[in-house]
Amino acid sequence: MQVTAPGTRLRLIGRVAIPLLVTGLLAGCMLPPEPATDAGQEVFNLYLLVLALAAIVFIGVEGFIIYAVIRYRRQPDDDVLPEQLHGNNTVEIIWTAIPTVIVFILFTFSMIALGAVEARSDEPGATIEVEGFQWQWTFRYEEGVERTGSAAEPPVLAVPVGEPVRLVLSSVDVNHSFYVPQFLIKRDLIDFGEGGPPNELEFTVTEAGTYSGQCAEFCGTSHADMTFTVEAMPRADYDQYLADILAGEEPGGDTGDCGTTIQVAAVPSIQFDTDAIEAPAGEDFCIEFTNNDSVPHDIGVIETDFNGEDVPAGESFTYVIPAMEAGDYTFYCTLHPTMTGSLTVGS
Amino acid sequence: MATTTLEPTTGVQRRSWVIDWLTTVDHKKIGILYIVNSFLFFFAAGILALLIRTELAVPGMQFLDQDTFNQAFTMHGTIMLFLFIIPALSGFGNYIVPLMLGAPDMAFPRINALSFWLLPLGGLLIFSGYLFGGAAAEGWTAYSPLTSDRFAPGVGTDLWIIGLTLVGTASILGAVNFITTIFKMRAPGMTLMRMPIFVWTVLVTAVLILLATPVLAAGLIALFIDRNYGGSFFDPAVGGNPVLWQHIFWFFGHPEVYIVILPAMGVVSEVLPVFSRKPLFGYKAFVYATIAIGLLSFSVWAHHMFTTGAVFLPFFSFMTALIAIPTGIKMFNWLGTLWRGKLMLTTPMLFALGFISMFLIGGISGVMLASPPIDFHVQDTYFVVAHLHYVFFGGSVFGVFAATYYWFPKMFGRKLNEPLGKIHFWIHFIGFNLAFFPMHQLGLSGMPRRISDYDPNAGWTILNMVSTVGAFMIAVSIIPFLINVVATFINGEPAGDDPWEGNTLEWATTSPPPAYNFDRLPPIHSERPLFFLTHGHGHAAERPDDLEESEEDDVERRGGMV
Repeated sequence: MQVTAPGTRLRLIGRVAIPLLVTGLLAGCMLPPEPATDAGQEVFNLYLLVLALAAIVFIGVEGFIIYAVIRYRRQPDDDVLPEQLHGNNTVEIIWTAIPTVIVFILFTFSMIALGAVEARSDEPGATIEVEGFQWQWTFRYEEGVERTGSAAEPPVLAVPVGEPVRLVLSSVDVNHSFYVPQFLIKRDLIDFGEGGPPNELEFTVTEAGTYSGQCAEFCGTSHADMTFTVEAMPRADYDQYLADILAGEEPGGDTGDCGTTIQVAAVPSIQFDTDAIEAPAGEDFCIEFTNNDSVPHDIGVIETDFNGEDVPAGESFTYVIPAMEAGDYTFYCTLHPTMTGSLTVGS
Repeated sequence: MATTTLEPTTGVQRRSWVIDWLTTVDHKKIGILYIVNSFLFFFAAGILALLIRTELAVPGMQFLDQDTFNQAFTMHGTIMLFLFIIPALSGFGNYIVPLMLGAPDMAFPRINALSFWLLPLGGLLIFSGYLFGGAAAEGWTAYSPLTSDRFAPGVGTDLWIIGLTLVGTASILGAVNFITTIFKMRAPGMTLMRMPIFVWTVLVTAVLILLATPVLAAGLIALFIDRNYGGSFFDPAVGGNPVLWQHIFWFFGHPEVYIVILPAMGVVSEVLPVFSRKPLFGYKAFVYATIAIGLLSFSVWAHHMFTTGAVFLPFFSFMTALIAIPTGIKMFNWLGTLWRGKLMLTTPMLFALGFISMFLIGGISGVMLASPPIDFHVQDTYFVVAHLHYVFFGGSVFGVFAATYYWFPKMFGRKLNEPLGKIHFWIHFIGFNLAFFPMHQLGLSGMPRRISDYDPNAGWTILNMVSTVGAFMIAVSIIPFLINVVATFINGEPAGDDPWEGNTLEWATTSPPPAYNFDRLPPIHSERPLFFLTHGHGHAAERPDDLEESEEDDVERRGGMV
């Protein structure tokens, strides 16, 4: 077999592989989304700088490994030992200095960007309370509007464009994290108890549009369902949006979303007051559940994931059931599986 | 050197081999038990990984429900870290460290057996949740308050806590044993600065375990009290602090990362010089860098908590970035070892080269994550999953396989088949990159980790499919490895004492070594006593300062070891 001189092969690799790699990086690989907030732009710019440093280190080291494997490969009949070099203090100092310089560049620029990302305005254009629970969100606006999502219908967070928006992030149960990829930022929702006030997050959206977000901190069974949408709109639209909700839905509270409401009660001992209910197909509906029994009960639907929370004896609760396809289902008490009734959805 | 053949000491009553293995206190047998046990757990956790990747290959819930998925990734992470990588490297440490030091056994052979046997017990307890209504499903980090009895009432979480506490106890016992062995059992002439780098990394690892693991054990016990006896360490509803758990967990968890990676670095630092036919470039720098990483690892834990809003970012960011310096020194020293060497691309060498080229990527993404603004974007996304797999899998697991191919001939007297080994390496290497490189991009574009399903319109489908294909390639690569092991036992090439022309003392005895390890030891004048033996004083290469330390040499000349 003809053995190519190592130098030629190296030049070939240099000519082919490195431009390919650079093109790949330029083609949009290894990049975050186009930022939609001013703070996101800071993170994006910092990321580009760090990626450039990373690319230099990556190409340098991997290139050397490939070079060494080709150039210094032992020939089968070569029994002569190479020079037994134990080290060299000068090069040790040089290559201690290289990562040190990189680390200080990275740290300095990180702190500059951190200052910009964490900047707080005196008068944010909107302050919105974001409350996480298993497994959805509630958004509370200063204007008195409150929106709670469900897995079937994730909530919308409306924000004004071009103004600082401050979110106050709290949790009523486990840890969650508010994350919108196009904002290039997230912050955890933690119940600090007596440990301190809730976290806050502030950003200014630069472009009107719809941005999807979801919980980024694992929070239990339906973590993946904890999605939401941010709709960024001009100030006038934002005010109108909130006004519309206030006009259209007060004072419905929890049942505001219900098209149809069905009354169901639990009665002694351990049974429902009805064994058949009907609901419309393809839209959310509500069950107003009253527990007249002496032990806790709840309502679940066997064929779906729906499993309502427990209602203590003597209390009532309105469940919002996500839209279901037409068909015959069975509702039951998940605490007492023998307690069932039929649910007919659609005609 | 002549092959030494010796009959085992006579007069010992013969026992069945089952009893022999169950009751052994020989560090070599215990080491093999560690390794075999680790690989069994590796296969179990690998099957869980395939379940996770299959579910995520396309959007929509395919065949797992959400709870099963959550149990799968929780068990996968826990088992891979605590019952595969750490014990596998401990197993090699158990087998090799006493041999490298010229010692007849570990300092406390019975404690050694105990610390092994706690492992399968703990591992089975962790797994046994599946028999009692579902295994733990809160992630291997077990963040409070998700792990409180209110949100995780199942007994699976309690079994996870108990099992992990046993595994942690085993680690602590093992660490005490390693530290004592390394400080008290070295052969005459084996000064600290002549110890093989692998021994150094095991020593620093043992110190990290001794300082960090009791913190985890305390946290686990506190969590157990919270869950079962009405404690309130971590529950904010009754005055506890959920962030406290994160501090405790990561105060252990970050040193843990180095517990997992340092011995693998040690393996690579043994393999690269042997197959480059040169000494490790900058031995002392490497030792100091290892110690520096160990020290720094206790000051960086809160970089896992940048998005909690509860930690002082500049300090933890700076300390984290600092770790890049000793790590960079190690990387350059490995490259310096290759430079002007005569490289033999055997399977262990391929896995060692795989380690440095893949660990580099994990190191780079780690430095990126040290920057808080970048972390705000990619924390808890697949970018972190990519990063940790490049460190743990591209790093540590490649190290485990390098060690397996490198020391197998010593342990069993036969060399693993090279062509099969190379097939294993290449499928493994390509599959690994297919599985985990796309995750960088998934994370950058916003896919959170630990989700059982994703939006088909999110643009994540193709990369997830590629990743799943890669995961199955990794699984396929294990087949030639298993065939190789079986075939080698049946009809493998005899290895002889020193098949690789090694540098360190384990190659100075028979393969496998006798129960008492050495008949006699070669003189030890450097960290490469075997090289010294073959090529002699006359070779210009051996460092002159080693011959100046006459005091130890005198001891050594007097000492007839063992």
